[in-house]
Amino acid sequence: MSGGTIWKGSVHFGDMDVPVKLHTAVKEERIQFHLLHRRDRVRLHQQMICVYEKTPVQPEAQIKGFEVEEGKYVIVDQEELEQTTPESSRMIEVHEFVKSSQIYPLFLDHVYYLEPDSEIYASRYNELVGALQRMSMAGICTWTMRKRSYLGAVQARGKILRLSTLRYADEVISAASLELQEIPVSEKELNIGSELINQLTAPFEPQKFKNEHQKRLQQLIDKKARGEKVVLLRPRILQPTAQDKLLEVLEASLKKAA
Amino acid sequence: MSRKVIEIAGRRLALSNLEKDLYPSWGFTKAHVLDYYRRIAAFMLPHLKDRALTLKRYPDGVGKAFFFVKRCPDYHPVWAKTAEVRRGSSKMMTVCLANNLETLLWVENLASLELHVPLSRTGSPETPDAMVFDLDPGEQATILDCAIVALILRILLTRLRLASYPKTSGQKGLHVYVPLNYREATFEDTKIFSKTVAVIMQKNYPDLVTAKMAKEQRTGKVFINWSQNDASKTMICVYSLRAREKPFVSFPLEWKELERLVRQGKPESLQVMYSEAVSRVEESGDLFRQVLIKKQKLPHL
Amino acid sequence: MWSGTVSFSLVAIPVRLVKAVKPGHITFRTLHRTDYSPLARRMYCPKHEQIVPPDEIVRGYEIVPDRYLPITDEELESVSPERSRTIEIIEFIDMDEVDPIYYDHPYYLVPLKGGEKAYRLLAEVMRRTNRAGLAKFVMVEREYLVAVISTEGALAMITLHYSEEVLPDDGIAPKEEKMDAKELSLMEQSIRNMTADFDPGKYANNRRESVMELVKLKMKEHAPVEAPAVEEEAGVGPPDLVAALEEIMRDVKKSR
Repeated sequence: MSGGTIWKGSVHFGDMDVPVKLHTAVKEERIQFHLLHRRDRVRLHQQMICVYEKTPVQPEAQIKGFEVEEGKYVIVDQEELEQTTPESSRMIEVHEFVKSSQIYPLFLDHVYYLEPDSEIYASRYNELVGALQRMSMAGICTWTMRKRSYLGAVQARGKILRLSTLRYADEVISAASLELQEIPVSEKELNIGSELINQLTAPFEPQKFKNEHQKRLQQLIDKKARGEKVVLLRPRILQPTAQDKLLEVLEASLKKAA
Repeated sequence: MSRKVIEIAGRRLALSNLEKDLYPSWGFTKAHVLDYYRRIAAFMLPHLKDRALTLKRYPDGVGKAFFFVKRCPDYHPVWAKTAEVRRGSSKMMTVCLANNLETLLWVENLASLELHVPLSRTGSPETPDAMVFDLDPGEQATILDCAIVALILRILLTRLRLASYPKTSGQKGLHVYVPLNYREATFEDTKIFSKTVAVIMQKNYPDLVTAKMAKEQRTGKVFINWSQNDASKTMICVYSLRAREKPFVSFPLEWKELERLVRQGKPESLQVMYSEAVSRVEESGDLFRQVLIKKQKLPHL
Repeated sequence: MWSGTVSFSLVAIPVRLVKAVKPGHITFRTLHRTDYSPLARRMYCPKHEQIVPPDEIVRGYEIVPDRYLPITDEELESVSPERSRTIEIIEFIDMDEVDPIYYDHPYYLVPLKGGEKAYRLLAEVMRRTNRAGLAKFVMVEREYLVAVISTEGALAMITLHYSEEVLPDDGIAPKEEKMDAKELSLMEQSIRNMTADFDPGKYANNRRESVMELVKLKMKEHAPVEAPAVEEEAGVGPPDLVAALEEIMRDVKKSR
C-alpha cells in the first residue's frame, strides 16, 4: 500500500471540485554513505558558513535575501514569496487541460497518488478519471502545500488520479542551448538503425531490473569491514565507433540481433 | 521568435530572439547589442582574454530582472574556452573565457549586456596585472566630482612615476587603471597601495573624497573604492555596455579630454554611447592598450 | 560531471553528461541576520571546527553507530566496473508504454569528439520509432536504471526508480466504481472548454512576475541591505609610501 496521507486538497476546475488526499508514490531505499574527514574519519556536516568570517552560522541567525544588485539584498520571507495562493485555500486549481503527450518527460518531477477524500466523492472522482483517460488529457494546475507553490499535472492512470509536480520552464535547460551540430545521416543508416532498434525492442517491464549493484556494494563494504583486501577493478571503457565505420557496425549489429 | 544561425571560424552559433528590445526607451534590440559587440570585438577581446567572465544577464532587458552568472553554463558550446577557478576556499568552478568572437557572441546571445572581469587572468589568479581606483560618486555627487578626484589622483601617480589610464564606468563613476604587468605583483600590494592613496586623499580632501565603504559617509563625496583590488572582485570590462536606460559604454578617455570636459562642466558629456564608442575606436584605436602591456612597479612598499 | 560511452548493440558513442535542470530565475541567498553577510553551504568538521576542502573528504559507511568505514572512489567504481563508464542500452521500449511515475532526474547527453554522427543517428532513429533505450549505469555509489530518450534533437538520460521503490496504488481508487454518464459528459465538456497547448513558459513567467512584484513592494518598505565589505580600520599605510604621498599632496595643494 502507498504511504500515508501527506496533504489534503481539492482538484478544482470550472465549477467542479474533487476533494482528494495526497499519498507518496515513490520511496527510495539506498545504502547511505556519509562524508568523512579523510585524516581522522570524523563525520562532516553541511553547514552554512559566513563567506567572510568562515565561521558556521546557526539556522536561527539565517535570513533569506533576494539579490537585486551585486551585494545588495531585499530581505524577504522566502515562503511568503513562493506562495502564490494562500495555503488555507487547499485548492489544486486546474488552469487548463493539455494533451498528456505534450508534457515532456524532462518537466515531470515528483508523483503523488490522489485518493478521494471520502467515498461520497467516488463517482465524481471516477468521472474525472474516465474523462481524462478517454481524452488522454492532463490538467495543468497550481497549488500551495507546506508554504510552497507548486505547478503540476493531474493525470489518470488505471482507475486512479495522480498528481505530478512539474518543473518550471526556467528550471529546465532547453536542448537547443546545447548547440548540437547538425550532422547529416543517410537514409540508409537511419533505416538500418530503425530496424536494429525494432529488433531490440521489448515491452516496458521495469520489475525485471533489480538493483544488483546494491548487493555487491554491501559485499564490498562487509569485506572491507572484516579487514580483507579489496581487489580494485578498472572500469571498462568502450572504443567509440568510428564515424566512417558507422554503417558497417550497424549492419553487423543487425546481423547479431537477428 | 526569430532565429538566425551564423558561422564564425567554422563554428555555428544560433542567435535567437533578435528583435527583443533590451533597451526599451532606446529601441536598442538584441540584434543591436550583438552588432555592437561584433564591431567592438577586435578592441575588446584582448581585455577579456583569459579572464574569468562574470555575465550580468538581462533576458528581459534593462530595468527587468537580471542575473549574475559566474559559473559557465553546462550547456556552453563545446568550442567555448573555459577554465577551472577556485571559488572561495575550496570549491572549483568552471568559468567561460571570451577569448574569441564566437564566444563573445554566444554570451551576448544570452543577453549578457554587461561583462565583468577580474584584474587577473585565470592562469595566475593571484597576480593582478593592473591596480584600479574605482571612483564612485555618493548621493549628490556626480561624475564631474569623480573627474576632479581622478585628475588629482593622476598628479599623485605621475609624481610616483606611475602612468595611469581613466575610463568611464558607463554608469556614474570613473575607473583609473595603473598597469603593472609584472609577475611579482600581488593583490596584497595593490590593495595596500590603493588604500593608502585613498586614505591620504580623504585626509587632504575630506569634503571631496572618502575611503570608507559606509553609504552615509559618501553623501556629496567620491568614494575611492580601493577594495576592488582583490582576486575575488570583478570590474566592468572596458568597452562593455552598461544596463542603464541608454546604451552607455565603459569607455577609455584621454587625460586631456577629461580636463576639457571638467572645464565644460556637463556631466552627460562624459558618457559615451555605443555608436560613438565604435566610431572612436575605429578612428583612434584602443586607448586602453597600454593597460595590457605597460610594465610598472609600485614604489615605496 | 561524468563522461563515458553510451552504447547499443555494437555501436559505442562517447558522451558527457550535463545538467538538464537548474535553479530557476528566482534565487534567494541565505544571509547572516546580524550583518547580512552572505552564507555558503560547506562541509564542516565539528571536531576541528573548520571548513573541509573537497580533497580531504572521503565517503564513509557507518558500520556501528559513530564508526565509519571509508570507501574510496576507486573502490566504488570497482563494484560494477562494466557499468561505471558505460551506459549500455539493454533494450528499447515504446515511449507510450513508459509509466512516467518511474522518472526521477533528467540529464542531457552531449556527444564528445568523434561521437557526433552516431549520436545524431540514435537521436533521430529513436524519434522516428518513438522508442527509448533502457540501460543500467553506475555513478559514484549508486546504480541507476535509466531511460535514454530523444528530445528536441538531443539525447537525454532520465534516471528511473526501481520498481520496488514505486509504492503500490491499491486502496487508492474508490471502492465504488459508479459513474454517472451525464456527469461524465459534462466533465468532458468542461475539459474540452479548457483545452490548450502545454506552454510551461507561461507559468514560469507568472511566478517570476509575482515574485518580482513582491520584491518591489518590499523595496518600497525597506531599502535593500548591503553585505559588508571586508573593511579594516582605515589605518595609515607603509611609512615610505605615506611620506611620499603627503609630500606630493602638499605640493599639489600649493599649486592649486
